[in-house]
Order: sequence, then C-alpha cells, then structure tokens
Amino acid sequence: MEGDKRFRELIDRSFVEEVSEGERQLIHDHIRDCDGCKRYLELTARTIRGLREFTFVSVPDSNAQVREILAHHTGTMRQHNVQFKIWAAFAAALSMSIVGSALVYQVAKLLTVPMHFDTAQVQAGVLVFWLLPSFCAALRLLAAPGENRGIA
Amino acid sequence: MSALPMTLSTTAETETSKIARGLRERDMELLAELVERCQHRLVRYLLYLTGRRDYAEDLAQETWVRVLQRGSQYNGRQRFDPWLFAIARNLAIDYLRKKGKAVQTALPNDRDAMLLLPSSDRSPFEAAARSEDAMRLAGRLQILPPLYREALLLRFQEDLSLAEMAQVLGAPTTTVTSRIYRGLAALRSAFEEGDSHGG
Repeated sequence: MEGDKRFRELIDRSFVEEVSEGERQLIHDHIRDCDGCKRYLELTARTIRGLREFTFVSVPDSNAQVREILAHHTGTMRQHNVQFKIWAAFAAALSMSIVGSALVYQVAKLLTVPMHFDTAQVQAGVLVFWLLPSFCAALRLLAAPGENRGIA
Repeated sequence: MSALPMTLSTTAETETSKIARGLRERDMELLAELVERCQHRLVRYLLYLTGRRDYAEDLAQETWVRVLQRGSQYNGRQRFDPWLFAIARNLAIDYLRKKGKAVQTALPNDRDAMLLLPSSDRSPFEAAARSEDAMRLAGRLQILPPLYREALLLRFQEDLSLAEMAQVLGAPTTTVTSRIYRGLAALRSAFEEGDSHGG
C-alpha cells in the first residue's frame, strides 16, 4: 500500500509537473501489474480531460461593452491630465512671476540713487510694469479655452 | 537546433514589450486587441473564482479599467496573461469582501480565506459542461473551494506554468501544486463514487 501511495503521488506529479523519462517508465512498468494504480491514472486523466470540456458562452457584445468603457475612461483620464497640466503651468508661471518680480525689484533698487527715484516709486513701477502683467499672463493660462489652455 | 526556441523567445519578448509600450501610451487599438484576445478567458477565470456569472462580468470590466489605469506597471518581462489574472484576482478578493460574501473563518485576516466560500447561487458550471464527464464534474466544481478551482483552471485550461501560477496567486509553487493535487483529488472522487454506485 505504501508503494502504491508513492506511485500515485508520482502519477499526480506526471500530470502537474515535469517528471523524468525514468519516472515515466517506472509508472508504466508499475501499472502493468497494479490495477488499482492503473485505474487511478485513468481517473486522473479523465478528470483533467473533463476539466477541459467546459465551454463558457460569452455574453453577446461583452467585448464591445468593455471597449466602450475603456474609451470613456481614456477620455476622462485625458481630461484630468489636461486639467493637471493647466494647473501645473499656472503654478510655474505664478512662481516665475514672483521670483522674477523679486529680482527686478532688487535691480531697480540699485538704480534708485543714480536715477533719483524713491523706494515707493520703484515699488509702484515694479508692481505696475512687472508683477501685475506677469500675474495676468499666469492667470490667462487658466482662462484660455479648451485644449489650448496652459500648454502652448 | 537551438535556433527555433531562440526565435520563439525573441518573438515572445517583442510581443510583451510591445504590449508594455502600448499600455504605457494607453494605445486604444492595442487595448481593443487585448480585450478581444483575453476577455473570454478572463471572464472564465473570474467565474471559477467567484462561482457567479454576474460577478465575473462586472469584475472583468473593472479589471480592464485597472489595466488602463495601471498599464505602466506592466514591465513586459513576463507574459501579459498572468499579470492580467493577478489584477483580476486582487479585484475579485476585494469585491467579494465588499459584497459581504465573507464570513469569519479560522483565518479572518487571510485574504485567501475569503475565497473558500461557495456561492449560494445556481451553478454556472452545469451550463458550461459539454460532455457527460464535464457534467459529473460540474456539481463538484461548484462546491469545491474556489482556491482549488482556480488552481485547476489556471493549470489545465489556461496552461499556465507553476511559476506563472505562483505569480498570479501570490503563493509559493509548493502551495500552488498542493492546491492542484487537492483539487484533483476532490474531482476524481466524483468519478470514483459515480462508478462504484453505477457498478
């Protein structure tokens, strides 16, 4: 019985994993004299064959439905992507506007003495001629229509 | 002699890398082709896993959406099918959990424990059986723990290698083989009992 158990494990293995040619021969030789193991092998083969005899019928238009859903999701994802790019462009433009204004202000401050401007005048100049225009340009990225927004 | 396998392996690599690139770029044509090729098998796998046709159809759709969203995670180094089945499997587990199909088992924290629950609905396996033997197996399949059922499907219908199965199931190959053997033993008994009753 112990020997049969070992052979039956080997039979199972021969259907599921790789077995060597020697092991295959061992099974072959054994089942010639052992009806129990021969039947075991036949039943295992029959079970596996039976498993391959199931045919599930697809729901009609199932593939078309999936394709439609995917197309819809792709559209939504593209839209989200455009939105993200717009806000990213706006954020970049805004930070460049602030950093640029700070730099221009520093340079303009150096010119106050030779050009006889006072600080308030410099601040107003930077505000009117640099900060506001660049801030408006950044805002315009959000306002431009459709696909052209943000990404030139 | 070694030229042919080499060519085949190169072709396979090219195909998987083509799929990986297409998924990264969200190429709709490629996705449509993959749906055409895999949808039927995907639904069948999910049917084996959940035992319910309606769940399987819903989950298959969700799986494809996930493929679209996370396509860039497919690296093209292994076959596409096991990757697809792994996504489907994870979704199925979460879905069943949400549907409240799970009851507390001896392993309440084990994700796989959820799959040990048979469905209460009518068997879709009987409808799919195309031979007398398949019909005899259908009843057993419905009550067989889904863990064994999916192992049998992946091995004998999908012809996945044990390594690929291990990837899908997230389990070592020893566990995978043990599930196959147990599943086979349970189904084989359908014939043993049937034949002894008949004879």
